[in-house]
Amino acid sequence: MDTNTVNYQEERKVYYKVLVGLLLLTAVTFIQPHLFMTESTFLAQMLIAVVKAYLIVMFYMHLKGEKLIIAMVWFAISLVTVFFIIVIGIDVVNFQYGAESHITAPSAH
Amino acid sequence: MSGPYVPEIATDREGNEHEVQGWQGDFYGGKLGFWLFMLTEVMMFGAMFLALAYYNTLHPQDFLDASASLNRLLGGINTVILLVSALTMGLGLLKMRAGDVKGAKLMIWATIILATAFLIIKGFEWTAEYNHGIFLMHDKLLPESSLAFGQKLFFGLYFSMTGLHGVHIIIGIGLMLWLLKRINAGKVSTDHNILYLNIALYWDIVHLIWVFVFPYYYMIGAGGVTGGH
Repeated sequence: MDTNTVNYQEERKVYYKVLVGLLLLTAVTFIQPHLFMTESTFLAQMLIAVVKAYLIVMFYMHLKGEKLIIAMVWFAISLVTVFFIIVIGIDVVNFQYGAESHITAPSAH
Repeated sequence: MSGPYVPEIATDREGNEHEVQGWQGDFYGGKLGFWLFMLTEVMMFGAMFLALAYYNTLHPQDFLDASASLNRLLGGINTVILLVSALTMGLGLLKMRAGDVKGAKLMIWATIILATAFLIIKGFEWTAEYNHGIFLMHDKLLPESSLAFGQKLFFGLYFSMTGLHGVHIIIGIGLMLWLLKRINAGKVSTDHNILYLNIALYWDIVHLIWVFVFPYYYMIGAGGVTGGH
């Protein structure tokens, strides 16, 4: 992909379209808790955030068509997710300092 | 100390000479390198989000209660400010690459003003929270206070993450001022704009982090403190 050439008018149109999309999604973020998935606000909010992130990464950060960088991004995200899920999972299962912990329930103090 | 530019020459197996590209000429390499840096940002904030999610599973109701007490209006205004600033930064880069240097500089200034507005609003927000006794190692967040333990965790992470994000905003403003200086010096131009592209990418990742910070902290409790999770 040649990243040095630019079609100013075309790219500007894309930027404004993405802006409108992001503004609409921000509006949805505010009305969602009162409109839909009201029992799953956390899930709904994260789904909206993922859609916004996709628009930013693909169009503002120009990752569309950049296979190598997309692979790197997935690798980094997967590394963090898998590493922490495994480490935290093992830690939670074998947690032996509940009585002294500062992150568990207040009753432990 | 600088002297006349002497290109480095590499010779291939056939004896042909090639000029080695400097970072200004190696557009893709410069971009790839900056993406590697940004992945460290993803891992740093990703780790913080995972810690947040872990504590959330331990104290779900406290997290909803704490989230419901944050000022969603100010958080929302800041969301829109960052959103528009990402646009101005991107449009500036397009203008620079299209040869409109003056327009590009105007867009950078617009981004700096928006970034400053973000910090001012965040300052008002933090001040209000401080006045309510909620701040790191202060009043209600002290270990001996009666505030629910999960809420202390929530606010501790809230100040840590929004504070770290704020530091990134300040660094971004500094980078943009430096970029303006480089443009004025003719070091960044229509043909050599990798620095501009990378600072625009940096600003996008600052925006991207906020895209997740805002709903996690401000919105999860918006459905009412007894539900919505």
